[in-house]
Amino acid sequence: MYRYDDFDDAFVRTRVAQFRGQVERRIDGSLTEDEFKPLRLMNGLYLQLHAYMLRVAIPYGTLRAEQMRQLGMIAERWDEGYGHFTTRQNIQFNWPKLKDVPDILEALADVEMHAIQTSGNTIRNVTADHFAGAAADEIEDPRPAAELLRQWSTDHPEFQFLPRKFKIAITGSPNDRAVVKAHDIGLRMIRNEAGEPGFEVLVGGGLGRTPMIGKVIRDFLPKEDLLPYCEAIVATYNLLGRRDNKYKARIKITVHENGIDTFRDLVEQKFIETRAAFGGADQELLREIEAAFAPPAFRAVDTAPFEAAREADPVFRAWADTNLAEHKDAGHAIVTISLKKPGATPGDATAEQMRVMADLADKYSYGELRVSHEQNIILPHVAKDDLPALHDALKSVELATANLGLVSDIIACPGMDYCALATARSIPIAQEIAERFEELKLEHEIGELKLKISGCINACGHHHVGHIGILGLDRAGVENYQITLGGDATETAAIGERAGPGFPAEEIVGAIERLVLGYLDVREGPEETFLQAYRRLGPDPFKAALYPDTKDAA
Amino acid sequence: MPLDAPIGERVAALNGRYRHHGATAVLGHALKDPDVGRVALVSSFGAESVVLLHMVATLQRDLPVLFIDTEMLFPETLEYQRELSERLHLTNVQVIKATEAEIEKRDPFGLLHKANPDACCDLRKTVPLETALSQYGAWITGRKRYQGGKRVTLDFFEEEDAKRIKINPLAHWTPKDVQEYIAENRLPRHPLVAQGYPSIGCAPCTSRVADGEDPRAGRWRGRDKDECGIHFIGGKPVRGIPAPGEEPHEEMSDEGVEVLTTEYEAEGGEHAAEETSMNVIVTDTGFGPETYNDEPMDLGSDTNPAELPEGWEQAGMIRIAFPSFNDGRGFTLASGLRAKGYKGRLRAAGHVIADQYAMARRSGFDEVEISPELAERQPEAQWLARADWQAHNYQARLRGRRPAA
Amino acid sequence: MSRRFTPKVVTANALLEGDAVWLRADGGWSRDMHDAQLFEEEELANEALRHALAQPDLVVGAYLADAKAGPEGPVPTHFREDFRTRGPSNYHLGKQAEA
Repeated sequence: MYRYDDFDDAFVRTRVAQFRGQVERRIDGSLTEDEFKPLRLMNGLYLQLHAYMLRVAIPYGTLRAEQMRQLGMIAERWDEGYGHFTTRQNIQFNWPKLKDVPDILEALADVEMHAIQTSGNTIRNVTADHFAGAAADEIEDPRPAAELLRQWSTDHPEFQFLPRKFKIAITGSPNDRAVVKAHDIGLRMIRNEAGEPGFEVLVGGGLGRTPMIGKVIRDFLPKEDLLPYCEAIVATYNLLGRRDNKYKARIKITVHENGIDTFRDLVEQKFIETRAAFGGADQELLREIEAAFAPPAFRAVDTAPFEAAREADPVFRAWADTNLAEHKDAGHAIVTISLKKPGATPGDATAEQMRVMADLADKYSYGELRVSHEQNIILPHVAKDDLPALHDALKSVELATANLGLVSDIIACPGMDYCALATARSIPIAQEIAERFEELKLEHEIGELKLKISGCINACGHHHVGHIGILGLDRAGVENYQITLGGDATETAAIGERAGPGFPAEEIVGAIERLVLGYLDVREGPEETFLQAYRRLGPDPFKAALYPDTKDAA
Repeated sequence: MPLDAPIGERVAALNGRYRHHGATAVLGHALKDPDVGRVALVSSFGAESVVLLHMVATLQRDLPVLFIDTEMLFPETLEYQRELSERLHLTNVQVIKATEAEIEKRDPFGLLHKANPDACCDLRKTVPLETALSQYGAWITGRKRYQGGKRVTLDFFEEEDAKRIKINPLAHWTPKDVQEYIAENRLPRHPLVAQGYPSIGCAPCTSRVADGEDPRAGRWRGRDKDECGIHFIGGKPVRGIPAPGEEPHEEMSDEGVEVLTTEYEAEGGEHAAEETSMNVIVTDTGFGPETYNDEPMDLGSDTNPAELPEGWEQAGMIRIAFPSFNDGRGFTLASGLRAKGYKGRLRAAGHVIADQYAMARRSGFDEVEISPELAERQPEAQWLARADWQAHNYQARLRGRRPAA
Repeated sequence: MSRRFTPKVVTANALLEGDAVWLRADGGWSRDMHDAQLFEEEELANEALRHALAQPDLVVGAYLADAKAGPEGPVPTHFREDFRTRGPSNYHLGKQAEA
């Protein structure tokens, strides 16, 4: 894995020192809030409903064990003993005190982490496939390119005051686990006719108020052109993006209003300039980064004990069948640790859990972890003969929930329990739905079902691309939840359609239950997922389940 | 007047044309005046060299700066030369030396200075400089009238042996002017000045060289200074050094922010009789007054880079507007101009905040122009805190070279 | 077209701790909404807000929030403001834990 060199370390330490000075000047009154606010936001410090919130970047979702351990330490020492993993591969601490934040940032710098550019109208944390470097279907590990993008976008002088925030996602596999089509720039690794790896480049995707699927701006971009091409896109957007209306300022609107062909022409024109500015140093650096991301030496594994345990223990079997993914080394598996135990807050981990996960990573996963946009933690390289012991260890800290990809594996933003922008709560809805389906004992029968909840129109909970999406709104002073159907976050991305009128909080769980039971009634068999059934049948049978008393639910 | 006109005629015409100008104005015009020809600054990086170096840096930082390394210099001078060149972003400093063959032949043990100092100067200084200057039509010196001797009648422009023009922008400066200029612009001094060296030449001969000025050695330590105000040439405002007796009223605020108040004729030709305070120009050395004498080419933040106004390539200065600090278009415009090969001065003007200074410099801007109100709210120290804009620069590392260099 | 003024309190977040605070009648700040002054008149409310905004060394982001009189003092009328008096619903943290 990539390690900071002296340059990275000096950069981050300097920023910490700057921010420490700024906090001191704020506390002693020589900086006003108006002056301080952009500075704290540049360092990931928000002010929310009940407290400050510090958003820490986990670049491309990759963590070393010692980093996870340090996050646990921070949660315990300066927060309330837990952290919240977000849909953007960040972790949020919800209770820091202003005066402690420089110390927290210092502790992060100690493990090569920071909170820079986790806010503001700039290029945010670059997210990646959470199975990166492990997945069997991967062409190449996307993280070297992501690290290159991290360095390029960090403190980029042109792009700190863009029309609006800017998010880049990258996947090294044609199978998209990083929702690249819902990002300002999406990079999907593919091979060209000559068999060389490169990127399909998408631009102008995004959720929020005006959800859009990204459009292809380049069918195939050679790897070595990544930085100049991205720079051309962002530079073009910086000049062309609207600044008169915050709601029309994202690149998706720029592309939509100008048309992808016009936008592409401008980018290609700019690309001539930007390409000339890169003299190959980036490629040299990329080769060093690639070397740093070389996979560990996977040990030879006898898979017999795993198969035996799977046969013998139904609890282990349920977990293994649900939470494991195929590793590129046949003797290993990718383990997803669910942070979605029914009743728990999606994406939250206690300091103790973080420490245990760090120790387990050291013991069983070559010291590596990943954070998924689905708010779970991944141990990317677990030898199959270690799986039973790992499962036991996870059980002891309530991290062995076997629900990956199932209805209780819900994505939920913090909502109005924390967020100052929220219009309704998300967390209690997620908790209640998960607990309800736990009672019904139907989850495994229902099969793959992506349920995503956002507490406002900004869609941090990705509700538009959930098979079932829930959007919390404020309707005349009451929390109200709107349902969307048929969304898809993968390479076959689709924006969900609104099912009809929203439900008050006390009715939303029942509505979801009717909807899912209705699906069970109409599916062709267990192998037809909710999304497949929706695509085959259209919305009508689902709306009928949602609104049984209404003849023509619109 | 064609460049092939006799040098004496051209010198006379130039002196007539710029008779009433100040040092910066003379320098600014000289760098562009077709009558002057190809220009270099010869600098010893000595005790007072920083004045002209700074002026050149603000006017045309890629102007050839010839530095004669006699290989007998103080190590402090070499260090100062490196630091100053970097800090002022001089991009075309050329180190002039005697050839190894000549040294081997005439001073193999490095002791010629003891036996025959004049021959040493000739070998290590005069000949290499003459060789280097043969490519130029004019060179800039720091000589001035107060230094006495023949210089009491020194003009801005001089003829040198019918070969070249010498430009003496500081001809009218006094020693006090030099010291004020250095102080006001917070320019770094040669480290040996603090140790009591009034002027600095080669280590073995410093005292000797100190009192005998040898202009052809490229030693320009007698710098004077004055600070720019506004004065009027033919009814047009010209920012530059006024002739004695024409100085505008100056007030120094507590922070050292210079506020000039004077009768000011607006650029549009409308007469504004009321007192107007001047914008502050922010550079790596902090706050300063206007140093540009012409009309800049102004670009709005909504400029389409594919439709730049005619003549932008030749513009001495392009000034890009920042209507608001959160309108980051200007950064991309600047970087685009540099990418297209623009070499002139590039200025960000308007609502730019101190925390953006490093971004502006990295995007290719040379300087920032802010209102006096903004300068008051965000005092110089906040800007100087970001003057280390070249530190921790990921983009420079990825490009393998500085984009605007 | 002007809407009828509804009673308001002045609220903000504390600069150092970040938690919710309310403006008292004596011009100071309380961490308990019941201590807040309820403004029935628009002009007084606006003046109090100006007073709050002039204390950037104590509080951040002051605004007027709807409220009504309760038995022990002002209480919220909107669920968002209600949450601010308590804390998150997923953990016993924030004001509900201090009470």
